[in-house]
Amino acid sequence: MSATSTSRTFETLVVERRGQVGWLIFDRPAKANAMDATMLDELEAAWLQLDADPEVRVIVNTGNGSSFQTGLDVAQLNRQPEALREQSRRTRRSELRLTAWHNRVGKPVIAAVNGTCAGGGLHFVADADIVICSAAASFLDPHVSVGQVTAFEGIGMIRKSPMEPILRMVLVGRHERMSAQRAFELGICSDVVEPDMLDAAAQELAEKIALNSPGALAATKRALWGALEIPLRKEEP
Amino acid sequence: MNTYETLIVERRGAVGWLINNRPDALNAMNNTMRDELAVAWRELDDDPNVRVIVHTGNGRAFQSGADVSELATDGVGMERYRDSVERFDLHFTAWHQKVWKPVICAVNGICAGGGFHFVADADIVIAASNAQFMDPHVSVGQVVAIEAVALLRKMPAEAVMRMALVGRHERMSAARAYQLGMISDVVDPPETLRDAAQSLAEKIARNSPAAMAATKRALWNALELGLTDACKAGARELVSMWGHPDQLEGPASFAEKREPVWAEPIGAEPSGASTDRPSS
Repeated sequence: MSATSTSRTFETLVVERRGQVGWLIFDRPAKANAMDATMLDELEAAWLQLDADPEVRVIVNTGNGSSFQTGLDVAQLNRQPEALREQSRRTRRSELRLTAWHNRVGKPVIAAVNGTCAGGGLHFVADADIVICSAAASFLDPHVSVGQVTAFEGIGMIRKSPMEPILRMVLVGRHERMSAQRAFELGICSDVVEPDMLDAAAQELAEKIALNSPGALAATKRALWGALEIPLRKEEP
Repeated sequence: MNTYETLIVERRGAVGWLINNRPDALNAMNNTMRDELAVAWRELDDDPNVRVIVHTGNGRAFQSGADVSELATDGVGMERYRDSVERFDLHFTAWHQKVWKPVICAVNGICAGGGFHFVADADIVIAASNAQFMDPHVSVGQVVAIEAVALLRKMPAEAVMRMALVGRHERMSAARAYQLGMISDVVDPPETLRDAAQSLAEKIARNSPAAMAATKRALWNALELGLTDACKAGARELVSMWGHPDQLEGPASFAEKREPVWAEPIGAEPSGASTDRPSS
């Protein structure tokens, strides 16, 4: 039984395999890939499916259209608040299942940021192992401009990059954007490529990583992410 | 309103300015300035008309740390600080004083030694193109700890260790500080620094004060915790804004293409804060 035959179909995502690389693609381009209740539900299933698929060694996460990911679909939130009730419960309990980190994905994850990454879209940058960008990508966090708090995304970002630029982004809100070039300088991403080269660059990088030992990759990933939880030297109990 | 001998505290619109004003002493922190800073931060944080605070200096230095001439001449020296330092009972930066309004540090010139307290403890740091950073502590037999400990959490560690260990024999340029993400703007020509700070502060002042305070608490408190625990504490800050009037006003003003009218902050005391404020 192949992974493909058991895989579910998705409405808001494209989930596919290109060789040993699993692709998870946000696919609501007309809505700037904002997360509605369906996508929130599908993300959990998609991460788990790709992580469980023995043919997949590395996962690439990107978006269709001119945006990468722009966070919660506020239009749906206003129209059908009940659709997001489950998400509210999970947010309150810090039990989100949006990203690879939330879903305890053990395989390497590359975020390939194809365009605007705004607000809750930063979850997927904060929680990826590797981030590469299209030159057309930009980053902003409009939460405080609409009366919302930034927590998880910013908390993840400040462990992985200099804090000052992140504090600036979360406090300036929608009145400023960070360019892909600045994100590269700060080490938020490790490559900036021409927009039409992004998919190929992500696939090529993923194939390099797929040459390495899956067991060693998974243990290394656990060691490094686990290190964000604890002090450098701590006496054994 | 308080009067100050070593600081200038003023308002420009919704922006509160705190200006180090001992230019002849390179804005070194003497006892008076240390005491006045504690009062000035609280005054600006408690003022409902102030939404954002800018901290800068008069003259060619931003801040050059403890006033060495005072230490050398009055027979008391660093011993005066022993109690407060041993108890970590400090009150001269925005972070010490639990300021939850956004703080922009605008570095106008030399920032040396204890001046790093204000860089480390600000939210946003911009600098004039001729600003320079150095930490001479170890060159005069002093230890650097608190300022550098905070900077290590906020930027690449190698650069901080180098500054701490090379002491007065090397300076970091504003351009290098920008590359490292220690600061987010290099303002040129230098004399336009205050305009740039005011303009940035006015952008920030357009955002929800309550949401910014909760966001600031979530991120700063995350420096105290492991990633998962920080996210759990952050969830409390996030949820603390649910049902707040700003959450209706934000989307409504956006849809109607007008500036939002945010709720007046209810005092300076945070609603969902998870840390205790030092008794002062």
